[in-house]
Amino acid sequence: MTSRLRGPFYPAVYASVAAAFACATLLCNAAESGSRAPQDGKIAYALVSLHWATYQSADGKTECPHGFNEGPREQFKKLFPDDGTVRSLSETELKREIEGWFPTPAPDGLDFKEATGSTALGMNLDGTNDAADFESPDGQQGIDNQLYRALGCINSYRGPQGANDFFDNEEIGKDDYNRLILEVSGIETLADSKNVTVTIYRGRDPLLADAGGTSYLPGGTQRIDLRWGWRFIQRFHGKIEGGVLITEPGDLAFPWATFGLPADEYVHDARFRIKLAPTEAEGMIAGYVDLETWYLQTMKSESTHHQSYGQLSPPSLYKAFRRVADAYPDAKSGANTAMSSALRAKFVQVFVLPVPEGAIAAALARPRALPYAGPPK
Amino acid sequence: MHMRAQESGANNSEHWWQSRCPVGRVFFALCASMLGAWLIVACSPSLVHSGGEGLVVPALPVGIQIEPTELEGWVFADASGRSLYRWPQKNLRNGNAGDPTGASFCTSTKTTVNAGLMSPYPAGLVLPDLDTRPACTTAWPPATVAPGSKPMGRWTIIERKDGIRQWAYDEAPLYTSNLDQRAGDVFGGSARYSGGDGPANREPVGPAPDMPPGFAVKTTSVGRLLVTDRQLSVYVFDRDGRDASACEGECAKAWIPMAAPAAGRPHGEWTTFLRADGTRQWAFRHKALYRYALDRHPYSVEGSDVAGWHNIYTQRAPDPPAGFTVQDTTAGQVLADARGMTIYTFRCADDAEDQLSCDHPTTTQVYRIAFCGGGDAARCLRSFPYVLAPPHAPTASRTWRAVDINPQTGRFAEPGQPGSVHVWTYRDRPVYTYSGDRQPGDVNADSHGEFRGERNGFNAIWIRDDYFGRTG
Repeated sequence: MTSRLRGPFYPAVYASVAAAFACATLLCNAAESGSRAPQDGKIAYALVSLHWATYQSADGKTECPHGFNEGPREQFKKLFPDDGTVRSLSETELKREIEGWFPTPAPDGLDFKEATGSTALGMNLDGTNDAADFESPDGQQGIDNQLYRALGCINSYRGPQGANDFFDNEEIGKDDYNRLILEVSGIETLADSKNVTVTIYRGRDPLLADAGGTSYLPGGTQRIDLRWGWRFIQRFHGKIEGGVLITEPGDLAFPWATFGLPADEYVHDARFRIKLAPTEAEGMIAGYVDLETWYLQTMKSESTHHQSYGQLSPPSLYKAFRRVADAYPDAKSGANTAMSSALRAKFVQVFVLPVPEGAIAAALARPRALPYAGPPK
Repeated sequence: MHMRAQESGANNSEHWWQSRCPVGRVFFALCASMLGAWLIVACSPSLVHSGGEGLVVPALPVGIQIEPTELEGWVFADASGRSLYRWPQKNLRNGNAGDPTGASFCTSTKTTVNAGLMSPYPAGLVLPDLDTRPACTTAWPPATVAPGSKPMGRWTIIERKDGIRQWAYDEAPLYTSNLDQRAGDVFGGSARYSGGDGPANREPVGPAPDMPPGFAVKTTSVGRLLVTDRQLSVYVFDRDGRDASACEGECAKAWIPMAAPAAGRPHGEWTTFLRADGTRQWAFRHKALYRYALDRHPYSVEGSDVAGWHNIYTQRAPDPPAGFTVQDTTAGQVLADARGMTIYTFRCADDAEDQLSCDHPTTTQVYRIAFCGGGDAARCLRSFPYVLAPPHAPTASRTWRAVDINPQTGRFAEPGQPGSVHVWTYRDRPVYTYSGDRQPGDVNADSHGEFRGERNGFNAIWIRDDYFGRTG
């Protein structure tokens, strides 16, 4: 008995007690801090995780009853079967590559499977509930997410192992180019504030990572990138209700480089629904993502080789985009140029070093980022 | 024999080319472009001030010499002054291309089909323009051994299967490029383009810089940057005196002195001195050397944003043409035209076993027309218009010069040929803007093409990149 008490028992007891105490303290602090204003009424967070919001049933058969899409390699085999025909590179490989860079909405006879079913993640962006809308898993009606309709049956965008779903998200944390900072000011309490301002910046510093390098910790410090990141400085207005930050719609341009080159996204009428806590935040960003900007980001970031990992066929995806686009019609052609969409986002709290007086106003006065208009005709 | 280098000063302003020494630049250009290899000894005293880091000249076989170049530093050249290149074997996505150690895979047999090394699509597809496609040894003539020459030091001789005796350096077979026209040209390849997912490129070969262990020189788009052997930038401080440091205490936490071993001895332009704390520090040209603790990436220039601190270039790249501008992007700075619109180059190599270039006006234009216009040459001219040069534009360097191009074919034209356009070239290849860019600083066509434009596609000319290292 004595020996047992001297062995593993006492440390286990101490650890349990300490853990319980720590948990109680943290819970208490969290609850208490939710009812208090952060210092100067401000709190900042760094983005650490970002995924296009795609609803997935357990076996995928609900949203993709006919299976998943084929990629460049499979389509090439259908178009150019290995039947002994001598083929030129110009009429095959190069042709398929430039169909990706100069896409058209015209049908090409290749099958493309859009996500079906009635369930999707996202927000009701237009305040209506029409035939194209979804219902969220928690029962909200009128969910607008036509981007999901195009992406939902492409393996690359399905978590957790889809190539784009994985790598796009991984680069959010790893690549400083993507260091999106969200600063909320005018806070009365983290639980409720009637009128807050959200300022978006790009930070300059790496995130604090755990020993594994894949989970990020709160409490880091970020310098604000005024030199190259001024195009990303944007302001939103909103409120905090029940601990959830809710912003009014506004256009959002943000950095999202995936494989080592500058690439950005542009969301019209973007809005944030983010659950705030003293050390972290999590929620959704939704709006109408610009079609050509989205497509360019994917084309620039990945070669046909990368796209083949996850059966992502750019020409087919572009045609799907043009079918499902539901907002911002082009003034001349009437074709929609944006798609309702949603992103799942996670943040950790960071401290932002003070920005020189007037620097934000000066940045906001400069020309804004513009969505890409597509390749010249 | 030791040759000395020139420190060219800081790179911390938007008009980066204005800070260079014009005397050295002009003389260097003269040496590089006009004088034959036999003048190398005569030039040497002046080359002290004309650019290029110091080097230890190895023993050279008969018929091999050393030439200064505008972008790549000192390179080996054949008896006619043509730069020598190697073709290092590279592991591509689906296999290797390039020369293995001690053997040449560049043959006189014309390659007719692709190898599928960088594509999910199959091999065996017929390559474009076979009627004009050269054999590998036509594009890359082996550096032949002159009668009576013998191996020496790092120079060895390869007995090729075609019977030609070919020079090798460090057991890498050497070639000249059919794109080089005169001594100092390095149009065949660059040390800058050998990484990433690009093709198995050829790169110029030269003598090692004369510098202590732990230092290196990195070829970048703006010049040859002094770095550590881990590619971290090295800086100098305006307030430092001769072989002395004024950076102590907190300063020395942000600016980490480049420690020299106790055994370190002065050598050429390199000296050491004792710091106040008794440690020994390296100096270059008697200026103390540091690393910057807040540098986030290799060959960073972020430290030069701090007043009084500067990167060190042993040699600056030639000026862009008059009227070109530098524009801020979301990642750094790119070269742009007078309107501020980003300038692009087209890079290309066949996905074939011989990995031949397809981005020069003398090579096939099929790839370029595919990626600039979807196969439509007229659309190319709308999408990626040439950057026009004024008539009689002065040619100040081999790197930037104006040429005549037939816009319908993309090939060189005779001066004044009807329908031709007078355009700027960079490394002998035309440069373009992209009509899909809407405002200065847009880089929408940067990486327009396969493998981020590294295999065949368009790229901006980055002169500063704080995120992705694309100046190097």
